[in-house]
Amino acid sequence: MSFIKQYIEQEKLNRRNFLFASAAGLGGLAAGGMFGPGMARAAIADPTIAWSYRNRTNPYWNEIVSGGEAFVEGLGMSKDALVHLINEGSSEKSLADVKSLLARTNGELALAIDTNDAPNCRPIVEAVAAAGGYVSTIWNKTDDLHPWDFGDNYVSHMTWSDEKPAEETARILLNAMGGKGGVVHLGGIASNNPAIERLQGLKNALKDYPDVELLAAEPADWDTQKANQVMSGFLTRFGDEITGVHCANDTIAYGVIEALRAEGIEDMPIVSYDGNPQAVQLIAERKILATVFTNPHWGGGISASLAYHAATGAFKPSDEPNEHREFYGPTIMVTPEDAVEFKAKYLDNVPTYDWTDYWGPSNGQIQYK
Amino acid sequence: MNGILSRETLVKWAPLMVLLILVLFFTVLEPRFLSVRNLARISVSAAPALMVALGVTFIIIMGSIDLSMEGTVSVSAVIFAFAFLYLGGTLFGLAWLALPLAVLVGAVIGLINGIVHVKLRIPSFMASLAMGFVGTGLALLLTGGDRIRVEDEAFRGLLTERWLGFPIMVYVAIAFVLVGWFIQSRTTLGRNFYAVGGGEELAHASGLNVSKVRILGFMLAGMFYAVGALLAVARIGIAETATGNNFMFMSITSVVVGGTALWGGIGGVWNTLVGVLIVNVIGNGMVVIGLPGYVQDAVLGLLVIVAVVLSTDRKSISFVK
Repeated sequence: MSFIKQYIEQEKLNRRNFLFASAAGLGGLAAGGMFGPGMARAAIADPTIAWSYRNRTNPYWNEIVSGGEAFVEGLGMSKDALVHLINEGSSEKSLADVKSLLARTNGELALAIDTNDAPNCRPIVEAVAAAGGYVSTIWNKTDDLHPWDFGDNYVSHMTWSDEKPAEETARILLNAMGGKGGVVHLGGIASNNPAIERLQGLKNALKDYPDVELLAAEPADWDTQKANQVMSGFLTRFGDEITGVHCANDTIAYGVIEALRAEGIEDMPIVSYDGNPQAVQLIAERKILATVFTNPHWGGGISASLAYHAATGAFKPSDEPNEHREFYGPTIMVTPEDAVEFKAKYLDNVPTYDWTDYWGPSNGQIQYK
Repeated sequence: MNGILSRETLVKWAPLMVLLILVLFFTVLEPRFLSVRNLARISVSAAPALMVALGVTFIIIMGSIDLSMEGTVSVSAVIFAFAFLYLGGTLFGLAWLALPLAVLVGAVIGLINGIVHVKLRIPSFMASLAMGFVGTGLALLLTGGDRIRVEDEAFRGLLTERWLGFPIMVYVAIAFVLVGWFIQSRTTLGRNFYAVGGGEELAHASGLNVSKVRILGFMLAGMFYAVGALLAVARIGIAETATGNNFMFMSITSVVVGGTALWGGIGGVWNTLVGVLIVNVIGNGMVVIGLPGYVQDAVLGLLVIVAVVLSTDRKSISFVK
């Protein structure tokens, strides 16, 4: 029942914040008036901070949210002050929730969001901008939509390019295979962008390894049990020809490892992606050779921070260069050599980040093909 | 009369024939399909789904439907894993108690399911779907979205230990098929399922406590789901909210493809065994011969239509236009 209590508590807080925010907003408006008209618009003294995302069943979104909560706590508030909008994979719900929150907060909103799919990003951004709120987006955005077209209100967009890191893990795998033999790829949901990029990364690396054959690439839908069955099928189809496995993410790798364990195969070179704690543990045990950590905790915190600080006027987005408006998130390669150190640094004790170092760990401006 | 008989014979044996044709088809294209190791792989992937499908078979025989399996499997798996680790984390200690506990959890969820359906008079499809969501939510609440690893060598022996080339979990699954068959054919409850499915009014008029049979049916199904959950955890060593994923589609497809009619009264555990094998042979065979996954879904969809058409024709014989 604690979740109900938590919800009621959260709603209470939100209402309180809303009252505070309205009061402060009026004060801010009055104060702003003294410094000229430009300031008044950009300064919301105490905006409501919200994160909109898919669900909590996935460790990735849990990490994102933990970052958002850490940021809110860093401001001296209880972590319950962060408003959660959960879209459950529905773009309609995502937009409806944002609109009702905008109405409730009178536009005094600092929103971090993954809009669920790319086309949904424009209506969300337009709704927030029209209400005078501030929004930072991650992952989903169409290529023709840019923060700098919305003045200050569309603060930033962050995404991750997976092709290069996936190519690097592939090289680690291909080297471990001795540069010869056969590799199979188990991918994500076939139409997902990360799934496409991660397979492409493998293909790029394979160009330098003419003696390695890509035996097959089959979607495993980011799912452990599906991956388990696909890997079993691969073992029948190729048997000993398989000398390495390239997985599109960690949850797939778990299924692969178990399919191999069922056959008594313990030393197959495997690489994966995402850097989940369990995968890092497996890397330390050398069951997986490499994974890529995208630091969702930082991504979740910094997106909320960007929207918040733009809202309070701590920085003015439109004064920033384009590479501070659209940028790639961090990627950190984890291998057996540094797994223990990595685990201690990032997972066992979550580092305390400086949430005003907005672009420190980021990875350059987004490039469109 | 003769015509009806031959048609009935055809319909009765059609699923098995489909299975044999599929096995032949894949073997011709890739002889390794029929190797013992691959048959073991198919069995391993089929075992958890078979348990879940057996459970829902009883419900479908009654003419009801149960869609709670994904939630029930997740909750049973997660509670099992927590209890197993809490009680020491090895089968040789007290942790074996987690096995019956998981089955008890399945039974309780099934019982609630049945009571909601019968006492509140909510259609079984809606009541069980809702209970399934409750189960998934409960599993999420318990785990907070995390995965629980069950590493005990003895428990994982269900997967890693082999007799005659097949992992122990396959024999466990066969044992439960026999249990299911025993319940179906040798117990009053089993026969009452058929009575309810064949004609509920008649069964009621004959003095059968239909409500009780239904509630017991859902409880029994929940227990089988829990056994499926245990095998699913044994297979990948992880219990999580997603453990139940896909079981709804897999099990209902299997039951229908196996020839158990959705309106009740016809079919049984052997049909379900054949149905589960068909679905898993297709899943494995497609990968083995190198066809992409979306073809696999399309073939399964077609098979469901064929199966329903076959059994619908059988029913229309009794209608005279």
